[in-house]
Amino acid sequence: MLSSPQHLIDGEIAELKRFGYTPFGDAAPDWVAMWEHLKGDFATLRRPRVPDFAELSPWPQEGARIYMRRRLLADRLFEECQVLYRSLHMEGINIERVEAYTLGREAYEEAVLDFGKAREMLEDVFSRTVDLAPMR
Amino acid sequence: MKTFKTYDKGDVLPEDYKKALINLMCFQADSEYAGAQRVAENHRYATRPEEAYRLSKKVFEEMGHGFYVWNLLQELGVDVDARLYELSHNPDNPDPKKVNVINGFRKENWSKFFECWEDVALFSTVVTPAAVAFLGQYRECSYLPWARVNVRIHKEEYGHLAFGVWASKRCIEFGGEKTREFMQQRIQKFMQMGLGFYGRPSAGDKKSQMFDVYYEYGIKVKKPEELQAEYMELLDSRLKEIGLVVPAGVEADYDMRMGYEAEEPLAA
Repeated sequence: MLSSPQHLIDGEIAELKRFGYTPFGDAAPDWVAMWEHLKGDFATLRRPRVPDFAELSPWPQEGARIYMRRRLLADRLFEECQVLYRSLHMEGINIERVEAYTLGREAYEEAVLDFGKAREMLEDVFSRTVDLAPMR
Repeated sequence: MKTFKTYDKGDVLPEDYKKALINLMCFQADSEYAGAQRVAENHRYATRPEEAYRLSKKVFEEMGHGFYVWNLLQELGVDVDARLYELSHNPDNPDPKKVNVINGFRKENWSKFFECWEDVALFSTVVTPAAVAFLGQYRECSYLPWARVNVRIHKEEYGHLAFGVWASKRCIEFGGEKTREFMQQRIQKFMQMGLGFYGRPSAGDKKSQMFDVYYEYGIKVKKPEELQAEYMELLDSRLKEIGLVVPAGVEADYDMRMGYEAEEPLAA
């Protein structure tokens, strides 16, 4: 049985859903639920338990919200890439569509790197707040 | 440095030159796209969100490299949409009569190399330097439109190498010394692939029959020995950065034909 170009995209979506990806919609971001999917990235040998979103004090909570907003931006650009990818497969390869796809994926790449920078920012905030909490 | 005649967009290409050029360009384009499909299959090993997102971006990048080169092949009269159709509709076993995918990027070969996220990180650290060196030579090749496209591709291949270093460091950061030792043991299998990337030596009994043709035309501008030296330098520096070392006595695996050293032009 033949596969289709959509098969690859469906696989990408399924993998990102493991970390809380949800397709674009009208609902306001559910920070608590999203944090549950993402907080594992802040677990280290020295910090095996990462607090829930509601447990965070205002400083790290705002950092976490910014981190998650970066991810939402990456998600929207990921969807833009899907549209451009489908266009190349359905309408054929030409210079306009190839360069449009290039712009789309470069924007997505930058958003993913920004998401990483936000993680580093939050990691720094955690080292100055969450990690010190038991000592207070 | 060797000199050769160059050609730009719209120039009339000698028939034999065009045949050799199209063969290598098809291998690059088809394999970049197939490589993206393989990278996507590795997504299941991603253990953390940022790893998953970075791998997703890599899928789109590799695919974009294929689109760049196919776009040029279209101008040379190749039916690239048919190649795209074959690869996207038969990702697990594309017909070798219709597309030219390097052995290493065929699913049955690729999947044997990956068992965990550490393997994904090591692939980009240990094999990608070979791609950086191998594809880097095309920036100076005699077909100028392809050379220009490979300037863009080469820059991003460096980015993939940076991804490998980043991902490997993260594995060790979270897993400690035990993970570092685990990864050190797994370098060899990927290094065999990396060493075989640019094809057989340019001289001696085992030399490739096609290399001289490509070299004479300026389609390939560096000998395998030169590329190997570049590869080893890059590999050594990146492994040191991570806290790993180059294992001794590793032999190249040419059977994976990562560097598309086809003896005869295939599907085009």
